[in-house]
Amino acid sequence: MAMFSQNPVLNGPNYSFAEVPKDSVDGLREHRFNPYTDNGGSTLAIAGADFAIVAGDTRLTAGYSINTRYAPKIFKIGGSTSSQDDANILLSVVGFAADGEALKERLDAVCKMYRYRHGKAMSISACAKRLSTILYQKRFFPYYVHAILGGIDEDGTGAVYSYDPVGSYEREQCRAGGAAASLIMPFLDNQVNFKNQYIPGSGVGHELQERERVPLPRNDVEVLVKDAFDSAVERHIEVGDGLQMMIITKDGIEERLLPLKRD
Amino acid sequence: MEFTTTGALNEDGIHVDMDRLKKGEVNLGTSIMAVTFKDGVILGADSRTTTGAYIANRVTDKLTRVHDTIWCCRSGSAADTQAVADIVQYQLGLFAMRNGKPPTTQTAAAIFQEICYSNKDRLSAGLIIAGWDGRHGGQVYSIPLGGSLHKQSYAIGGSGSTYIYGYCDAHWKEGMEEQDAVDFVKGALREAIKWDGSSGGVIRMVVLTKDGADRHLYLPDEDYKVRH
Amino acid sequence: MPGFDFSNYNRNAALHARGVPLPKATSTGTTIVGCIYDGGVVIAADTRATSGPIVADKNCEKLHYISPQIWCAGAGTAADTEFTTALISSQLELHSLSTGRKPRVVTCMTLLKQHLFRYQGHIGAYLVVAGVDPTGTHLFTVHAHGSTDKLPYVTMGSGSLAAMSVFESKWKPNCTKEEAMSLCSQAIQAGIFNDLGSGSNVDLAVITADKTTLHRGFVKPNERSQKLKNYKFKRGTTAVLNEKIITKDDIGKYVSVHELEATEERMDIDP
Repeated sequence: MAMFSQNPVLNGPNYSFAEVPKDSVDGLREHRFNPYTDNGGSTLAIAGADFAIVAGDTRLTAGYSINTRYAPKIFKIGGSTSSQDDANILLSVVGFAADGEALKERLDAVCKMYRYRHGKAMSISACAKRLSTILYQKRFFPYYVHAILGGIDEDGTGAVYSYDPVGSYEREQCRAGGAAASLIMPFLDNQVNFKNQYIPGSGVGHELQERERVPLPRNDVEVLVKDAFDSAVERHIEVGDGLQMMIITKDGIEERLLPLKRD
Repeated sequence: MEFTTTGALNEDGIHVDMDRLKKGEVNLGTSIMAVTFKDGVILGADSRTTTGAYIANRVTDKLTRVHDTIWCCRSGSAADTQAVADIVQYQLGLFAMRNGKPPTTQTAAAIFQEICYSNKDRLSAGLIIAGWDGRHGGQVYSIPLGGSLHKQSYAIGGSGSTYIYGYCDAHWKEGMEEQDAVDFVKGALREAIKWDGSSGGVIRMVVLTKDGADRHLYLPDEDYKVRH
Repeated sequence: MPGFDFSNYNRNAALHARGVPLPKATSTGTTIVGCIYDGGVVIAADTRATSGPIVADKNCEKLHYISPQIWCAGAGTAADTEFTTALISSQLELHSLSTGRKPRVVTCMTLLKQHLFRYQGHIGAYLVVAGVDPTGTHLFTVHAHGSTDKLPYVTMGSGSLAAMSVFESKWKPNCTKEEAMSLCSQAIQAGIFNDLGSGSNVDLAVITADKTTLHRGFVKPNERSQKLKNYKFKRGTTAVLNEKIITKDDIGKYVSVHELEATEERMDIDP
């Protein structure tokens, strides 16, 4: 019964939303249209000394079904044309795909208007603040997404900003989002920020020295991203098919597409 | 001890609502019928079994033997109707051995009713019992959801039956020849299959006379025209 | 007292009524199939076990032994398929011993359906029962509520639609053993790749009148790729507040220690 009712085709509920009793204590039941779907997938962004990498898988799911094996979650934002050749910002969105698409369109339009009015591209910090206000504007009917913004700041340093669905945001060194965030984030804490790593023999007890944090070189970060997703695919059913990786440097944006397991 | 008046609990759970088919349960959203004719009875059924929108079996046999010339048509929950039919088959087998003669259709129907009525709160089974016996010839009994028993000259049942009340009423004749009765059943089930989404597949029939049981099978591939 | 213990029923029902969700059982959100051929029957299953969206086991066994010539593929709640098949296997063995006859597939199917019907679907076992006995080759499905079907090819579990699409487009009557094996394998792979509840490898069993062959890992289309980096930490990386070393010789004083050969299935660890 557990399994069969989890299959939406066999008229069961979707496991993605926590099951609660369908009848209230007084026997009344409220019927309401649910405007959100969880489309699964996972994203990840890491900032380096002079670059930022934003990555995400390309699987789009609904319940136990795969809707498509290639639906990009990483977008170039703020180019002067639709080709986005001169874009200077990366946006990743994961959660409800329709809201992600809408949010991307909104932010891109805002950035394009800025370019038109000011004759220059928007800075990552300005765009980050603007994205926060866009999300908060829908405080009581939120964009059901976990957004992450990537770019190069005014000093030429890699920047990553991450958001909750209603616009609370923070600049970070790295962030994982979406279905497998809880699987990937601890790995990132350990491998990017060297959390829980100490210098062997540097002291006894509380004297022990933490391993010094240094920004990772680009190649190391790409390796981490691939390993993180390969591992997430092993243990999360909604992650897989393809890995889309965008690398932003002062010279522009590079895109890499790698295969992931398809089961 | 009661906690709620209806089935509030579920999901691996403990307590399911009884006023509907249990979730994920296999359903015979069905078209079934049985008719009397000059020499006996004919049972007929479609062959579709569903779980929600999925067809779990497209060639189901809903005509079940409970004794040599007493059969039943099953509709409702597949599990419930199979369990009831298995019990009745056992009881009739025992009856025949103890008394040294086959049971009558009426006896079979009475056993069915006893089970369906006394477990009415736990079963979703709509049954039609039809049989031939030396004493009464061909007879048809219908046992709908509550467990009541109705002797009829013909009976229709299942979700598809709602579409063919008019057809049956217009075309029914008492004491038909065998071929006419077969055509009547086939014609009615074709309409039921055509209009009811929960019915479909092949048409199965069983003709019960003094000579025993004779099975018919008609496929949609040949527009239900050829007997296999 | 034999059977289930219901002493926590009232407490759990009261908690649930207040909105506490029930604990999640490991469900083998599964693809299982079976197919009869001339001379025997083939059953197959994927090897993924899930708990919600998380993969609980990447290589679990869903093909269960009933008797030498009768095997079961199980979908639904993992514990229920495991215990139900074990229970019926035991009953069938005792029945076989007392009658002096080989167990029959119909007997197995009847025991299963009567057991499951008694529990009104609360035992979430969805089974494909297959086997060869003195009366011939048989293939059944048994649903958790106790209904059964008899068909030449069957599928069950969350991947049943994907698997059935393979059978409905490729199956033909009177197939050979190799054709049946290939068809079942393809059906499971359709589930593995198109149903999120199914994944990893194909397990397959062939049952004939004289023997049963279990192919564990018949196809392995989802081997894990090599990690690009070595994540071995230098000794001393983890903070240690207190340390006490007990040698193998010392621990031997308190418990018995046996040296074991490395078994075939090994844990997924870094080199």
